[in-house]
Amino acid sequence: MTRLLIADDSETILLLLKTRLEMEGYEVETATDGQEVIDAIHAAGAEHDLLLLDAMMPGKSGIEALRELRAEGVETPVLIVSAHQDAGDAGSPTELEVSGYVTKPIDFDRLFSSIKDLTAG
Amino acid sequence: MIGVARFLQQRQDYENAIARSYQSEIVARNRLAQGKNEAVARGRVVAEQAERNSLQEDIDDETRDTALLVGAGLIAGLTGAALLFSGLIATMRRPLEELVDASGRLAEGDLSARVQVGGLAETAALGSAFNEMAGELQAQAGERDRLDRMKDEFVLTASHELRSPLTSVQGFAELLMLERERLSPKQVETVEIILDNTRHLVRLLNDLLDLARSDAGRLTIRPAPTDPAALVKDAVRTIRGQTEASDQQLVAEIEPGLPELLVDPDRIRQVLVNLLANAHEYCPEGASIRVEVKRVGADVEIRVKDDGPGIPPEQLEHIFERFTRGDAGLTQRVGGTGLGLAISKSLVELHGGTIGAESAPGEGSDFHLRLPAEASS
Repeated sequence: MTRLLIADDSETILLLLKTRLEMEGYEVETATDGQEVIDAIHAAGAEHDLLLLDAMMPGKSGIEALRELRAEGVETPVLIVSAHQDAGDAGSPTELEVSGYVTKPIDFDRLFSSIKDLTAG
Repeated sequence: MIGVARFLQQRQDYENAIARSYQSEIVARNRLAQGKNEAVARGRVVAEQAERNSLQEDIDDETRDTALLVGAGLIAGLTGAALLFSGLIATMRRPLEELVDASGRLAEGDLSARVQVGGLAETAALGSAFNEMAGELQAQAGERDRLDRMKDEFVLTASHELRSPLTSVQGFAELLMLERERLSPKQVETVEIILDNTRHLVRLLNDLLDLARSDAGRLTIRPAPTDPAALVKDAVRTIRGQTEASDQQLVAEIEPGLPELLVDPDRIRQVLVNLLANAHEYCPEGASIRVEVKRVGADVEIRVKDDGPGIPPEQLEHIFERFTRGDAGLTQRVGGTGLGLAISKSLVELHGGTIGAESAPGEGSDFHLRLPAEASS
């Protein structure tokens, strides 16, 4: 079963994402800030198939968590969720190897097809 | 709009200051002219005296000597007055020339233009008034820039903060619609209303954000090799639900073998969806909307045509300007913001392309954009 880790500081959005993704048949873990993301990945031995991280979260942001994970050698594909349309323009250096951006409000059909592409094979 | 009003006010203030400076110059000139008249009048009195003296010449030789003396004095006096006057002109001229030069620079937008205060009391007063006015203008321009930055910052923050709750509203309404077979028709209708209005809010938010970015020169694109056919099909798919609900025909005719475009796919898709949404919203039920994509020289041309009511020439002229909406825009059906085409134009131009429209009342509309193919860019 494809295993996803999603992070957003809004519990409501986490609930929405988790519900929709589970309906699509994914196994979903949640985190509410960057530190929880790092802890969850350490706990799972980097076994997740995909990370879906909110770019801006209080405390440690998704981008900061990703920077630490990449420095540790974690190569899990990442989709960055951002409120801004031009999500990637600021603070997403190429060395972070972001696989794609998802803007809010979320277009779920596009999100599902991105996830399918990134987790195939 | 507020910016324009402020600019007009500043311009008015500037013109008033110039008018004031002219007035004080006129006062100065009048004073000088008055001085000259007094001298002439005095001269005339002295001359009459001299004439009378010369009449007495025969009677009194001694008096004639006096008359000669007075005559010489008169000539000397007049020459002196003339010299003094030309000296005054010269003293006034340099500061005035400097003022003219500085006013020109100020008018051209160099708000740091200042003059050296000096010369006669009047020109000195004029010079310091000018410097004060220029200083005020410069301070106001700084304040305006600061307010503009605050406005941009506000729009960005507001857009960011509003987006999360909107994501939830839209997302959960969509979730409800996934189980529509378990809802009553009334409930389905209710959820559809929520979704329609959420989409409208999102569109408004996106347009305002783009506009703020465009004003701040921060409207950016991320070009990538893009298949125009896929892009057009994607945009058509987005709008199809809405055209089907209005019984409108939507056909895409895409020439095979089109070259790739080096464009930001999200942004060009946004432009296409905007053109299609306009066609859908301004056309009556049962209308026909047609998208044609073909290669024209080194460009790819995309046309969105409809057989709707068309656009009168006086509106067509301003159609790509902000807050311009067709007449139908005043009816409830049209959910746009009057910003879509202005933003589309900015976006297409950022890609090095062009956008235009042809239309006439009763003859439908034809919006077309051209984008350079990748090989040629």
